[in-house]
Amino acid sequence: MNEATQTRDVPPANIETFKYDNRIVRAFAIATVIWGIVGMSAGLLCAVQLFFPGANLDLQFVTFGRLRPVHTNAVIFAFVGNGMFMGIYYSLQRLCKARMFSDKLSWLNFWGWNAIIVAAAITLPLGLTTSKEYAELEWPIKIAIAVIWVAFTINLLGTVVKRREKHIYVAIWFYIATALTVAILHIVNGLEVPVTMWKGYSIYAGVQDALVQWWYGHNAVAFFLTTPYLGMMYYFLPKAANRPVFSYRLSIIHFWALIFIYIWAGPHHLLYTALPDWAQSLGMVFSIMLVAPSWGGMLNGLLTLRGAWDKVRQDPMLKFMVVAVTAYGMATIEGPTLAIKSINSLSHYTDWTIAHVHTGALGWNGFLSFSVLYYLFPRLYNTKLWSTKLANYHFWIALLGMMFYIVPMYWAGITEGLMWKQFTKDGFLQYPNFLETVVQIIPMYELRAVGGTLYIIGVWIMAFNLWKTARSGVFEPDTVAHAAPLSAQAHTAEGKNPWGHRVLEGKPMLLAALALVAVLIGGLIEIIPMFVIKANVPTISSVKPYSPLELLGRDIYIREGCLGCHSQMIRPFRSETERYGEYSKAGEFVYDHPFLWGSKRIGPDLHRVGGKYPDAWHYNHLDDPRSTSPGSIMPRYSWLLSQTLDTTSLPARISALRRVGVPYPAGYEQIALGELKLQAAKVCTNLQTGLIKANSDKEIIAVIAYLQRLGTDIKAAPVAPIAPVAPEAPTPVQKTAQLNTPNQP
Amino acid sequence: MIQHLVSAIGGIAMLGVISVCLFFVVFGVAVLWAFCLKKPFLTSMSSLPLEDETGADTKGANHHG
Repeated sequence: MNEATQTRDVPPANIETFKYDNRIVRAFAIATVIWGIVGMSAGLLCAVQLFFPGANLDLQFVTFGRLRPVHTNAVIFAFVGNGMFMGIYYSLQRLCKARMFSDKLSWLNFWGWNAIIVAAAITLPLGLTTSKEYAELEWPIKIAIAVIWVAFTINLLGTVVKRREKHIYVAIWFYIATALTVAILHIVNGLEVPVTMWKGYSIYAGVQDALVQWWYGHNAVAFFLTTPYLGMMYYFLPKAANRPVFSYRLSIIHFWALIFIYIWAGPHHLLYTALPDWAQSLGMVFSIMLVAPSWGGMLNGLLTLRGAWDKVRQDPMLKFMVVAVTAYGMATIEGPTLAIKSINSLSHYTDWTIAHVHTGALGWNGFLSFSVLYYLFPRLYNTKLWSTKLANYHFWIALLGMMFYIVPMYWAGITEGLMWKQFTKDGFLQYPNFLETVVQIIPMYELRAVGGTLYIIGVWIMAFNLWKTARSGVFEPDTVAHAAPLSAQAHTAEGKNPWGHRVLEGKPMLLAALALVAVLIGGLIEIIPMFVIKANVPTISSVKPYSPLELLGRDIYIREGCLGCHSQMIRPFRSETERYGEYSKAGEFVYDHPFLWGSKRIGPDLHRVGGKYPDAWHYNHLDDPRSTSPGSIMPRYSWLLSQTLDTTSLPARISALRRVGVPYPAGYEQIALGELKLQAAKVCTNLQTGLIKANSDKEIIAVIAYLQRLGTDIKAAPVAPIAPVAPEAPTPVQKTAQLNTPNQP
Repeated sequence: MIQHLVSAIGGIAMLGVISVCLFFVVFGVAVLWAFCLKKPFLTSMSSLPLEDETGADTKGANHHG
């Protein structure tokens, strides 16, 4: 505490003196900047690899497939996560006129959260991943996330309960909704059966897993990237503009409508997939309705600046805020547009989605984070911003960077979508070779990297400016404040109405409970029927569990992040069935723990790749993709040729899958290794016909076996139900494996 | 039990209709609620962020550089 604060007037007797904790805010602010640079740099390296595959230096740890989740996790959970905590810890204390409920919980939140991020940065490059987008971290880290999140929630609610301000401002409602909903999403989607210390299998399979995952994935965007930042907007925008929010009424409608609708919209990530039609339509309708509250919030933010636009010209913090809110508006009109089935049929799996996501990430989250950082540092250090000019440079460089990023991605996305669907006048695909559509957009990938570089340069400029600001001031670890305790505050006449919205604002737990109910309804209505009505996932009798070798190959496919570039979901369009084969059926995925449908096609769909090429082709392709596909941007996977397949955990894997419902017969673990060797030997024999001598114990053998199995079940004759294992006779799993190991030259 | 309940609502297509109705009820209640609130209350609520540092002893960081 500095001397000035000590010599303030002595407060009246019923006024309490307390301190806001600035240390925790500073810690989260610094972490936001550092992780922002790290996460965006990882993204830039990913972007460069898409036009220069050798940028991974042939190291398996930084291939696109493994690096992409590092980028997404670092930007979402490290950059935005720390930014969110920064904003919440600063504004919550001031809005509640109370220090955080527990300093210990605050620091547990900070160190725990950042330790989790470090764990992610280590495990993801090692290939330890669940493969479920934005939920890739394996089960021990997932448990740690749950613990830390509970600590944060207790701290948040505890602060609200011990507040000195009678009314709970709308920003805090958004924070409460965030805390409760993220906890539910994380726990429900993260349910796994552990296999080893760093491997688990999702308890859900196929289409059900897909629905739960995108219920989570969509609402991670909603309740991690949106609602906490909306809370920050409702606090920091009026502060910066020095005028109240345009319409408090609108903010109430914004809150309830947004949290109620958002949770329903998840299925729009699965349009035209094997998800039942009713669920897709529900997702589409609610996505369109989502425009109303989202734009209500955006307009509320922009109209708060009415009469204060002159400040926007002068204040870089407000400049960033205006672009952030505008980007929110753009992203939230585009999202529902992309959720319309006919538009989605063109945009899905293309870079259009990447452009959309980055309008939100770079514009909304990035610019709002920068705005709040520029607001906080001078206040935390009791000084002025070191250089307004530099902040203005940052603004224009970042804006330019964002434009250079998203415009080429829109171009690329629409180009890809149209080329994939283009037929000649004779009725054949105009571009039957998928690679043609990739080569076409490489210049756009190059431009995107330029945009990303500019954006990161801007962040470095900001980091320098903030560092100089900190150096020029004196950090105030605590801000002393005075307020009367809640019990001493007189009840006003308006507080007596038992039905007004103010009742909720005075009862945080009731508010939290209602918010939770609003959020849960949509999730339950979508998810429960998927699990209880068998007709939603029609079974196909010829679909059988993976053989042991295929299973291990599948786990390597997951480890390498292949689904970052290759989908396994052929939609029922002629352009797709012509290119890939029969469209994908829900019943084909009943043993897929987790589902691997993917969300982006940088390479072609692989669901029917089984039997399409000889084993030797896959061997050569994985060793050096350009040897079989000149111009390919796929990285080399040459380590698969030399690394020995780890079979030690095979029994545990089979046992775990049986626990989640895969019908491996009792005792199958004992013979699984023998079957694996048998099938591996067959793959080696096939390779020899392609003049390739390979050892049967190498990882590539398992990957080839898995790829050759993909999508072939429906071609096989129906087989009798699985009987108990008789060691002398091949099991149906063995039979399926034999059926699906092609004898190709 | 749940299966029976879900199956008994007249086909899964009804779920979409029920969901949309549910939304409009919730949205309608929120709008009604918001418009029943009195002006003084709304004014005091919306000014909360601007008042939150009136009791704080800060050395003058309110001027943004």
